[in-house]
Amino acid sequence: MRILVVDDDLLAGEMIAAILQEDGHEILLASDAMDAMTQVDHHEDIAVIVSDMHMPLIDGIELYRTLQEQGIHLPFILLTGNAPEFIDAEKIGLTACLMKDADMDVTLRDAISSILNH
Amino acid sequence: MALDIQRFIQRFIEEALDHLGRMAEGIAALERDRANTERINELFRSAHTMKGSSRMLKLTPITATAHSLEELLSALREGQQSAGPEIIGLLYQGMDALSDLVGLLADGSAPEALPAANPALCQALEAAASGQDNPCASSTPLPADVSTATLSPTAEPSPTATPAAEEPGEMRLNDSVRVRLERLDEVIRLMGEVLSGHTHMHHLAGWARRFAGNTQAPDQSELAAFSRELREGVLTQEALMVELHDRALQMRMLPLNIVFDPLSRLARDMARSLGKQVDCRVRGSEIELDRQMIDHLSDPLVHLLRNALDHGIEPPEVRLAAGKPARGQLTLEAWQDGGWVMIEVSDDGAGIALAALREKALHKQLLSREQLDALSERETQELIFRPGFSTSALITDFSGRGVGMDVVKRSVVDTLSGDLQLTSRPGQGTCFTLRLPLSLAMMRVLLFQAGGLTLGVTAQYVVELVELPASRFIATAGGWALTLYNEFIPVIALAELLGLPSTAVATSDAPSEARDPGRLLLVVHQGHEKLALIIDALVEEGDRVIKPLPKHLRSLPLISGMVTHQRNDLVSLLHVPALLERMRQTSMPSTQKAPSTRAHRVLVVDDSLNTREIEKDVLEAWGYHVTLAENGEDGLQKALAESFDAILTDVEMPRMDGFALTARLREEHAYRHCPIIIITSREKETDRRRGLDVGADAYIVKGSFDQNILVDTLKALLG
Repeated sequence: MRILVVDDDLLAGEMIAAILQEDGHEILLASDAMDAMTQVDHHEDIAVIVSDMHMPLIDGIELYRTLQEQGIHLPFILLTGNAPEFIDAEKIGLTACLMKDADMDVTLRDAISSILNH
Repeated sequence: MALDIQRFIQRFIEEALDHLGRMAEGIAALERDRANTERINELFRSAHTMKGSSRMLKLTPITATAHSLEELLSALREGQQSAGPEIIGLLYQGMDALSDLVGLLADGSAPEALPAANPALCQALEAAASGQDNPCASSTPLPADVSTATLSPTAEPSPTATPAAEEPGEMRLNDSVRVRLERLDEVIRLMGEVLSGHTHMHHLAGWARRFAGNTQAPDQSELAAFSRELREGVLTQEALMVELHDRALQMRMLPLNIVFDPLSRLARDMARSLGKQVDCRVRGSEIELDRQMIDHLSDPLVHLLRNALDHGIEPPEVRLAAGKPARGQLTLEAWQDGGWVMIEVSDDGAGIALAALREKALHKQLLSREQLDALSERETQELIFRPGFSTSALITDFSGRGVGMDVVKRSVVDTLSGDLQLTSRPGQGTCFTLRLPLSLAMMRVLLFQAGGLTLGVTAQYVVELVELPASRFIATAGGWALTLYNEFIPVIALAELLGLPSTAVATSDAPSEARDPGRLLLVVHQGHEKLALIIDALVEEGDRVIKPLPKHLRSLPLISGMVTHQRNDLVSLLHVPALLERMRQTSMPSTQKAPSTRAHRVLVVDDSLNTREIEKDVLEAWGYHVTLAENGEDGLQKALAESFDAILTDVEMPRMDGFALTARLREEHAYRHCPIIIITSREKETDRRRGLDVGADAYIVKGSFDQNILVDTLKALLG
């Protein structure tokens, strides 16, 4: 499965990619929301988007909303660094909202497999 | 996380160091312009990114510290706080704490073994973020650095127990150079141009061969065209070679942060083990220096930092009692000044106590009381550069160990071809200033002949090349001297100083020569000290690549390197500081002379060190007892403190000039009839009259200076 990972911190992006690659997924990296939009336009086979919340200019939620407005309804996993801003994922239609921490190899895998099982 | 953590940690360290470097710049920029929102945003992003990636790697202390720092930056961004000095201080401390943690990680500490985030610092950051007054602002010292070491040795691993803190004071650079790709590309592009120029040369060679093969006389116009093209080709090629050379040398240039960054961490480690609180600020770390210099720079800088921490910055209680903030400031700053790089290590500590220095010098019997009295404030401060001098009352871990400031000075002067100066104000701090050439590899060199050899000196030591008749030389106790630029400068034939066979007339019979050809003098200096060397001829001057001596020759003190001359000649470069040292040794015996039983006491007042020293030599050779003063005010104080039989004074001096001094002394009963001699470069009759009007007994013009006149005048006046 092809997954687009959006994170302005290249290192974080690569770590997320490494987790997903272990499970045999193919990863595309985008460094900001604009880049992510371009990638989505160019690669029709993207199945899931995993995006950081905090990014300069356009944040993760904005990215999600913009995609929705453009009729792109891909499964969207939002990652966030701060606990207090934890977002009620289901309410706005996100697949999942995960804490960006050392447990991500478990939480992110769970989220991805739940998408696959749908 | 089930990933290759180690690999990502390595990446994290690299990126974190990058962020920390930018943070240092950002905070410094914010310090200058507190409303710089762009900088605040950048700082926020750096803190945020470090927080994010450290959390994924479970580097909890880094995450926690970065989080608190991020909170404060967020408050700044939202305008809930403004970046006043206290906030800036907190930002620096937060950054320093992060650098320490990342540093431990870089030194191989396991993520689990990192000490916990400093709770007091995190609280202070967050309190400031929420707009509360800094709870530990002025009255209580900020617990930041010290708390980890003193408050919580049981709760968390003390930093002194972690691997990196075991050996504060050690630093190592690896032996490779990272070159920016664009620089390498530029060299490769130039190589390409050189090669195509070379093809053109081949074409010209072919053309020349046709001339040679042609039995008939060549066509004049073709010959002219050939010659023009050859000339142009050679000039183009030369320009390319010069540029290529410059670029190649530039590849050896490295930014100072390679030395500065580890140093600021080192300073914090050292401060911690000394129980002092210090903020270490680094500025100008983007300045570039030759790799070779960078290598030799860290040792002297480490010593200067140690010195500042050990002797300069006081313990927090002492600082608070003196009305200073508890945290000391240590600044490491670099800037470029023409072809030189200046590096300043300054602290806001206690400064150098002159009285303590004098006591120490006496106690160690480095100088007599008389010699000490003759030293200016600056010269007294510079005592700390003397071998065997250390002001620390206790031998502590750092400064007292083995090497002293003399070694620092020597390594700056000898190894780095630089200069080390010191300024200090009691109670306000000390500042060491290093002046270094950009590169040791390529320098301007003057080649000349002496004693049948071609020799060289690097340009930074050369004052002037002058030709003067030997009759201008003056005999002094230690040898010969001359007056130049209003100063007395010792003169010696270079061949004689080096023990080479003398080719020209020796100095010993110089002044009496009836036929007096000009002598070629190379005037060299180091700091305030000057020396005129008699040489045979100038060969040439130009930029040269300096080749280090082969290993087995490196212990030769007089030679600092080699340059090639013409095709294959090797020329030795003389090391001027070593020449000056040798000169001092050869003229030393003169000071051993015992003063006669009824020695007249003479006070010599002159702002030029050289002049003072030489007048002293001359007078001591005649059995006078000499005391030195460096300006009118100093002279007056000394004259009032003790009694003198005669006074010699210069006219132009800072603070109080010679005329004013003379007039003032005449008001004193003790000096109403004491001989006062003015020695000056002012030849005008009006000046002479003024000198006599204010009460001088004699007026000697330096240009016509002859020791006999001085001594005869003194003898006549003293009876």
